[in-house]
Amino acid sequence: MALVVDALQATVGASEPWPDDVLLYQQYKVEQITLPDCAQCLAVEAFLRMCGLRFNVKCKTNAEEMSPSGKVPFIQAGQYLVSEFDPVVFFVGTKGFSLSRQMSDSERSEMRAYMSMLENILGNAELYMAWLNPEIANEVTKPRYGCSYPWPLNWLLAWRKQRAVKARLTANDWASKSVEEVSEEVHTCCLALSEKLDKKKYFFGDNPTELDALVYGHLYTLLTTKLPGGPFTSVIREFHNLGDFCKRVDSAYFSD
Amino acid sequence: MQTNQPCKTGLDFLFCIEIQQFIITKLLSDQAVAAPPSGIINDSQPTGIKTTSTPSAKKDDNVVKLDIDKLPVRVQRIVVDGLTRTKDDIVIKEIKPLLNAKTFDELVHLSYNAKVKMERLGLFKNVVIAIDVSKDNKEYGYEVLFEVQEFRRVDGGIHTSISNNDGSLDFQLKMPNILGRGERFSLDYTVGTKRTHGYSAYFKKPLNNNPDIFLGSTAYQFHGEYPWSGYKQTDRGVAFDLTFPTILGSHNIQWEGVWRDLRALARDTSFSVREQAGHSLKSSLKHTFTIDTRDDPILPTVGVLWRTSQEYAGLGGNVEFAKQDGMFQWNTSLPLDAIFQMSLAGGLMRTLDPNTSVSISDRFFLGGPLTLRGFNLKGCGPHSYDNALGGESYWLAAAHLYSPLPFRPGKGRFGELFKTHLFLNAGNLGNLDFNNLSTSFQDFAASLRWSFGCGVVLCMGRIARLELNYVVPMRVQKGDKANPGLQFGIGIQFL
Repeated sequence: MALVVDALQATVGASEPWPDDVLLYQQYKVEQITLPDCAQCLAVEAFLRMCGLRFNVKCKTNAEEMSPSGKVPFIQAGQYLVSEFDPVVFFVGTKGFSLSRQMSDSERSEMRAYMSMLENILGNAELYMAWLNPEIANEVTKPRYGCSYPWPLNWLLAWRKQRAVKARLTANDWASKSVEEVSEEVHTCCLALSEKLDKKKYFFGDNPTELDALVYGHLYTLLTTKLPGGPFTSVIREFHNLGDFCKRVDSAYFSD
Repeated sequence: MQTNQPCKTGLDFLFCIEIQQFIITKLLSDQAVAAPPSGIINDSQPTGIKTTSTPSAKKDDNVVKLDIDKLPVRVQRIVVDGLTRTKDDIVIKEIKPLLNAKTFDELVHLSYNAKVKMERLGLFKNVVIAIDVSKDNKEYGYEVLFEVQEFRRVDGGIHTSISNNDGSLDFQLKMPNILGRGERFSLDYTVGTKRTHGYSAYFKKPLNNNPDIFLGSTAYQFHGEYPWSGYKQTDRGVAFDLTFPTILGSHNIQWEGVWRDLRALARDTSFSVREQAGHSLKSSLKHTFTIDTRDDPILPTVGVLWRTSQEYAGLGGNVEFAKQDGMFQWNTSLPLDAIFQMSLAGGLMRTLDPNTSVSISDRFFLGGPLTLRGFNLKGCGPHSYDNALGGESYWLAAAHLYSPLPFRPGKGRFGELFKTHLFLNAGNLGNLDFNNLSTSFQDFAASLRWSFGCGVVLCMGRIARLELNYVVPMRVQKGDKANPGLQFGIGIQFL
């Protein structure tokens, strides 16, 4: 039902041009946001920047609760609220902006496959590391998640969130994995991406696509976040072309 | 004195006086017996105070006349029969004054007072008193037997309750006198018509053996939806309160700690409401003062209600405000069974944290079929895309003239539950700017709303009020949701 409403809203909104006052809502980057959320926010931001669209980032401590889907980030365009990466891509597409318009159908489905692999492996690995690794969860993720609330809400909400993440990862069999197994998964994913990227500027040639935005969001977050242990950083650093890719996107779109 | 002893032996029930019987016989004896010097009892007839036989004394002119009121007594034994979980000390405390009774009349009064108090304390469902002469034939020696019936350990019930334009079904499990000193514990589950539901546990303990002074504590979870403002909220909280009477009125002091999770109700909820979504923790201290001299809470004919409350939020938590609210209602009976009612209410709040404004769940709202008639429920004041945003101050005034139904159908019976009324309502809701009070007061006066109308009021068993009115809104401000014409309302709170 929600999907139908989303689609309908986006279609209705399509007749209007891209408004001037688009806001991207997310949590505070320095003090509050957790690693998986940060990756999602950065991916959406990178996508909007690659499309060359006007928008401003607005940080709110309650961005997660404000979001219609309960997840960050979300954009407010006029009276429309669109949350998460795929719906935002779809919504922006209805306004006539797309990064994958020039691609052939087979390329587009290949891109979709990579994106879904990325979400499945890196998305779950980030959740696993942030919330299930006891050291990182207790020292970094939980204090950050609860930082804007008074005692005892700060630990209560963080505990509740941890329980929800645990339930989600138990359902898709990630919770039972060991750190080594998760690192292995991340390695496989990065290997696939590295081979696809090869020596190209972007994954599908000289122009960025949705996949580039998503890869940048996840890898940049994983590479730059300092966490105790930080097991995945070393795994990703093995692939030099991916690191260079992140630097390239950063200087091309985030240089301001 | 003995308690907790199931002892019926030695008491001659022939001569026992049950309290109800006693009152009747006392009346009879007052008529039949003159007032000779008290205490004339023939020793040869130790059972001479056969009060139950007083009517027969009418026939016999030679009977010993005695004034039962001033009959000297010396209470020798008090037996309380039927105690299981009620603690001895609380019962002893209540019945000890009986030992000091000097006259029979005093003894009866003290016994009756003890019965009423123990029942009000919630110790017993029923208390029957029997007074008898002492079996060891001491002069003026008496024994008192309290036959008490305790409550069942666990009791339950299902009932419906009504809040403003919302009905709910309540399931209750209660444990009266749970610890043996009048404590009461109850568990409630409530489910309402507007997808509201909640659980609560409540514990109440009378202090100092006084049923009017008590400590209460509650823990609850409640989910409510507020469609007029486009949000839903889950409250989880604990509260402790102390209630005590004074010569002026009743006071209640409460501390409440509540975690509130506010979410937008739908996709089309206004962004001004959505912005306030999230978790908040309110820790507040509230004092409520009530004087209620009315004869009925729903359709009073005479009396005054005065209720004021002060709330301070900010003892920990992230909600900081000070709030003052009050209402006054005055009723007077007029000729021809008419009643005039005048009500005033007002409230003011102020955030104590300059960086935030008061949350929508703490604000005042105005309008509805039982308050500012002629407007939709919470339909007055600032709105954003159909969602009421509430205000930080309000006032409301109402005048009613009630009269019985025309031609008085069902007079003395169901017809007394109905009244017709003419009314006039006025009020306003808004935000006062404390830096520029005179201008904001002028704005407040200029943007007044008022309406008048007439209708029928139905009193539903002293718990709720049902109104069907024809209303004419006379002044409506931009953004208000007026509801001219017929309007139906049901609820407990009204003005």
